[in-house]
Amino acid sequence: MSKSHLFLSQKMKSLLEKRKSREALEALILISVVTCLNMVFGYFAAAFAFYLSFFKWDYIGPMEFVGLKNFMVIFKDLWRGISGAYFFQAPFYTGLKNILLYTAIVVPTQTILAMILAAFANQKIKGVQFYKVSYFLPAVTSPVIIALIFIWLFMKQGYINYMLQFVAPGFAPDWINDKSYLLYAIALVAIWGTSGHFMVSFLAAMQSIPRDIYEAAMLEGAGPIRRFIYITVPMLKPMIVYVVVLGLIGALQMFDLAWVMAGSNGGPGGAGYTMALDIYNEAFINLRPGVAAAKSIFLFALIFSVTYVFQKKYKVMVR
Amino acid sequence: MKYSKALEKTTSLVIALILIIAIIAVAWFAMRPAAPPPTTTVVEKVYIRFAGWSAGETEMKNYEKIIKMFEEKYPDIAVKYEVITQMFHENILASFGAGVAPDVFYLDSAWAPIFTEKGALYPVSDIVSQDFINQFYDFLLEPFRGPDGKIYGLPKDWSMLMLFYNKKLFEQAGLTKPPDTWEELEEYAKIIADKTGKPGLAIYLGGFNRYMPVALSYGAPKPWFDDPGDASWFDDPAVEKTMEWYINLYLKGKIEREKQGLTPYVVAPQDVGAGWLGDAFGKQEVAMVISGNWMIPFLADQFPDFKFGEDWDIAPVPRGPEKRVTMAYTVALAINAKTEHPDAAAKFVEFILGPEGQKELVVKMGHTLPSIKGLENDPNMWPQHKKSLSFKYDIVQIFLWGPKSGELEGKISDIMASAMREEISIDEALNAMKQTVEEMFRGG
Repeated sequence: MSKSHLFLSQKMKSLLEKRKSREALEALILISVVTCLNMVFGYFAAAFAFYLSFFKWDYIGPMEFVGLKNFMVIFKDLWRGISGAYFFQAPFYTGLKNILLYTAIVVPTQTILAMILAAFANQKIKGVQFYKVSYFLPAVTSPVIIALIFIWLFMKQGYINYMLQFVAPGFAPDWINDKSYLLYAIALVAIWGTSGHFMVSFLAAMQSIPRDIYEAAMLEGAGPIRRFIYITVPMLKPMIVYVVVLGLIGALQMFDLAWVMAGSNGGPGGAGYTMALDIYNEAFINLRPGVAAAKSIFLFALIFSVTYVFQKKYKVMVR
Repeated sequence: MKYSKALEKTTSLVIALILIIAIIAVAWFAMRPAAPPPTTTVVEKVYIRFAGWSAGETEMKNYEKIIKMFEEKYPDIAVKYEVITQMFHENILASFGAGVAPDVFYLDSAWAPIFTEKGALYPVSDIVSQDFINQFYDFLLEPFRGPDGKIYGLPKDWSMLMLFYNKKLFEQAGLTKPPDTWEELEEYAKIIADKTGKPGLAIYLGGFNRYMPVALSYGAPKPWFDDPGDASWFDDPAVEKTMEWYINLYLKGKIEREKQGLTPYVVAPQDVGAGWLGDAFGKQEVAMVISGNWMIPFLADQFPDFKFGEDWDIAPVPRGPEKRVTMAYTVALAINAKTEHPDAAAKFVEFILGPEGQKELVVKMGHTLPSIKGLENDPNMWPQHKKSLSFKYDIVQIFLWGPKSGELEGKISDIMASAMREEISIDEALNAMKQTVEEMFRGG
């Protein structure tokens, strides 16, 4: 290497370093903007909620420190629920019970459905773009609008019961006004609304699976279903964990669909009552923001531990 | 190369700068005080913020119009009208918590004790003349009277319950007059269901405030709950009897009738595919509902072919053996205790609530009833509202059950609904109601 070349490369290097440090500075400035917003609206709000959970407050007067009294309200409620009190006497327990059932229905179903939809969307067939858009459309529509449309579809004389009479004659439940069906109706809407969103995640992951694995499997005589089960699904494992974790977080704090479809009191028999609804009612109807904050901490702990245990068990780096 | 690098650098810096400026701007807009600094203006102008919900675009436009009139009359006061369309009181409470509450705002009677008790309201009676206050119906002022006897809010309008009945369905069923007693109400509902195939009456599942006229007309004591001992209200024989009757209206009128394969004579709005009582009545799915003045403009607007006088009419709420009772619902304009401009706020309240303001905002709009006396015979008053004012009642019970009215209404209504759906027995419901009241006021 000639002297001039060496000089040039050194110059390039220093320029590159300079450029790098400048880039780092610019990145810092840009990131700090988002961080500031996150600090105020995310972390500050969370820290304030934690602080508030030890106080009695009515928004107007001064705060009064009450220690763990707000948390006692929660445990009393849970104990009462376990002892078999009516749903309206143990609202938090009702919300917890419902949301666990809802999560158990929604998360596995939406994950499997999203994977199947992605497998279809990944095929080289005519008009696949149309299907992708159709699947994804619910994800960009407001949940409130979706819920309102579904209330109409789920009416006793509605379209869903009309279609059901061809599949299961005589089965025409009053989805929204019957406590045995309300939560399932809400879960169906949630599955419909979120599967398309997660389909996109799966589709992206599927497209990064090397084609030669499939080719090798095809040469060995594996059919499409076997290829899906033995290649696609295992290769998607990190994405499955990601989708399940996001699904769990979303499902456990569900509010909007229940608010619109069941109402703030959870509808018939409290069947559509969720923990998030209870937190809202505690804060703005019962005017006990301290208790509401304590309930939020409980919900946070629940979401955190469920997702932590899930990730720990499946030990995969979540993207 | 150099040029493009410089350009790149400038672009990144400009973007960063724009973002920072945007954040500062957003923060400034969010955190700036209600009134812009008056230093730059020649005449010192006072700014007040006025918050209300909206019953529609027309109401908003009318308010904007009247605010303009006010600003013309008082050029040194400017009013910023803020419409909170959803969860109004929650928003106002949160704004108190954040220290940015408006100067003047709507206040529902059921929420009044909470705000008064916490010292959040400015005593209007300290700043407005007694003559002005004397114009209002006295019973409408009650919810806004503090423990010190001062008035903390002036009612902007009011509504009361009445019986709406479908004349055509009555005719088909061979009925010539609306029911006068609660027994007749049930009897007529049954006759209508049998003769016309349409349910006679629609009620809400739950609805403590809709049940209240029944209890009071049977001699139940005036409800007031602010102590665990007040749970004994539910032990009153009149309460027990009427609660059983009210819950049974649905159990017998809907559930049992359907089991027998007959047309139900009592339904809830959702049973006939309606969103609320007004909707069920307007669609002519039911012959009778007991609802308030707010239903009148709704029917006129949504069901223009279903005409008052020809197709439907109103009658007083049925009476019990003791009395005839109705419920009244009112909303006041209240002034924030921490307002920097109480005088300007009071002037605004006087302007809006005075005869001129109410003529424009209440009488002409036809949504509700004026809260000051003397407008009953205004030529612009809708005939339906005028008729509702002619009904005579022994008690006009304001929607207010004590300091926790909203919470109590919700919880008791949920229990009533549960009993109406056969999830719990009537006895269990009454016990649960008592327990709810006891726990609510046991402290902590």
